[in-house]
Amino acid sequence: MRRWLLPLILLAEIALFTILSGQTFISASDAGAYFQSYFADLLCQSAPVLLLAFGMTIVLMTAGIDLSVGSLVALVACVMSSFPAGTEFWWTAVPLGLALALLLGATNGALIAWLDVPPIIATLSTMILYRGLCFVVMGDLEKSPFLSVPAYEWLGQISGAALLVLLTFIILAFWLNRSRWLREILMLGGNPIAARYAGIPVSRRILQVYSLVGLLGFLAALTFTARNSSVSASSLTGLELQVIVAVVLGGTRVQGGAGSLLGTFYGVLIIAVMDEGLRGAAKWGTEHLPFKISHLEYVLLGLLLVVGVWLNSREKTRRPAA
Amino acid sequence: MTHGRLSPFLRQRLLVLLAGNLVLLIAIAFTMKQGGSFTDVLTRCGPNVAPVILAGLGMTGIICTGAIDLSIASIIVVAGTVFGVLVDRQWPPLPCFAACVATAWSLSACNGLLIRNLKMPAIIITLAGLALYRGLALILADLAIPNFGGSLNIQHESYHAPGKQFASAILLATLVGAFVWEWFASTPRRWLALGSSEEACRLAGLDPRSIRQSAFVVGGLFLGIAALIYVTQIQFIEPARLALGFELQVIGAVILGGTNIFGGEGSYAGTALGALFLYFTAQWMTYAGISPYFQEAITGALIIGVIGMDCALHRNRKRLEELA
Repeated sequence: MRRWLLPLILLAEIALFTILSGQTFISASDAGAYFQSYFADLLCQSAPVLLLAFGMTIVLMTAGIDLSVGSLVALVACVMSSFPAGTEFWWTAVPLGLALALLLGATNGALIAWLDVPPIIATLSTMILYRGLCFVVMGDLEKSPFLSVPAYEWLGQISGAALLVLLTFIILAFWLNRSRWLREILMLGGNPIAARYAGIPVSRRILQVYSLVGLLGFLAALTFTARNSSVSASSLTGLELQVIVAVVLGGTRVQGGAGSLLGTFYGVLIIAVMDEGLRGAAKWGTEHLPFKISHLEYVLLGLLLVVGVWLNSREKTRRPAA
Repeated sequence: MTHGRLSPFLRQRLLVLLAGNLVLLIAIAFTMKQGGSFTDVLTRCGPNVAPVILAGLGMTGIICTGAIDLSIASIIVVAGTVFGVLVDRQWPPLPCFAACVATAWSLSACNGLLIRNLKMPAIIITLAGLALYRGLALILADLAIPNFGGSLNIQHESYHAPGKQFASAILLATLVGAFVWEWFASTPRRWLALGSSEEACRLAGLDPRSIRQSAFVVGGLFLGIAALIYVTQIQFIEPARLALGFELQVIGAVILGGTNIFGGEGSYAGTALGALFLYFTAQWMTYAGISPYFQEAITGALIIGVIGMDCALHRNRKRLEELA
């Protein structure tokens, strides 16, 4: 059911918000140009969420959860922003950011795999820790060296962001589709004890999954900083909620053992369209509604999460797909 | 949730926290600069730590059943907004206080009801509530107050009574009540039973769903009192920014207090000591002149350290149970 339901919701949403934004088209080519820039913007804006959501999908497959993604991306971005801009940024800040992201992801994984801390607790504490480290690195400052780095801007534009997202999606999808690694991850999520008795190296797999989230967090930090150009210690708070809602909406079960990357893709787009749409409908809102229409975003996000999980629980028998 | 007997693990945790709190108090006394008074630290401790402890008591019960409530901060926001709107309409203090408590209580009960009827994991429902309730509070403020500027100003001193003058007294009374209730009543035992094994609970003729619901109802009462103290302490109620991250503080205190995150083990005393430990750590860092930017990171590292050690110690026992 979800295979056609999600694209349908997405289309309905786009239609609704296009009407609410008061956009009028004179010709077909006019509409074409509008939607071209609309989708380009949408993809650039949601690139960090998309990248993280791919990682979160795999984490949820293991019956885990990663609440620290927002803080992780913020910390990587903060550390990278402390380096001087210029060509050397590419071979100082960027590799260091990558190493840091992998380390932070692996820290989550190590806490969960080696110390047996429940994922939600481990990542809740690292969420506080990483955010605290952001303040240690940045203080109250807001830094923006990114625009002075040659060719960095490209990552935030449609060609760069789309390339990065699509490449990640294709690599993950190809790699995961029918791979033994994914089967092991799904089994681990379905029943960790059975997985261990079946000879699956559970600890190593968990470590790999959370490190993968770290890697994707690094890519998300690249696209985020390239687009927003500045970063502060409190950037990206609340990102984890958006990511989790998107993933769950896309059909990944929180109890583990099933999930779909394509569904996640739709889930992220649905939320991004809503986000952009509510902003675009601000004028309509002030004329017709007694409250600020942007407040509806919280309400809708909450409702979408509940509806998404409810739909998932109705589809328990659905076969897992990558 | 002890009923006369504490598990060795809980007893050990309580002793460690007690010792930790004493060490921190001594450290504060020594690092205090000239002119600071130690009694001042103790008297200010009550009002400052009351919201975390009270909300923590509610959360303890909920976590003991194996559920969790991530929406408490947003519930406090709704309660605070209702309170602020009523003050703005110039209602007398008492009905405003009652409305604040009742709002928080009913929203928490509503969480319980949704979890019960939708048969979804508590973490999902309350994660949704985290966003939803804050949105509702913002919409409510917009609807109730024309040209709402983003914050509600509570000026008159009589509206600040529960948070400023009576906070310590309310905290102590609630704590004593909670300890007595935990010791003698059967409901907390049922929560532990449910947290230990839902299957066994059902086979023993208990209804898991109404037990879980009762934890949210009782938790809501504690949360209502916590919300009352929280919102009457502050001058400006800003629905968009009020109590951000409060749920993390509370969950941190509860887990630090030895409550098992999967349910089945926990105590009110542990939660109170855990909250005090986090509070005194922050106080000590302030007195020791540690930059405020480091404080959040140190708190995070502390929670990870304690919990990581804890889980690592449990690891072998869990493996053995698995085989049995």
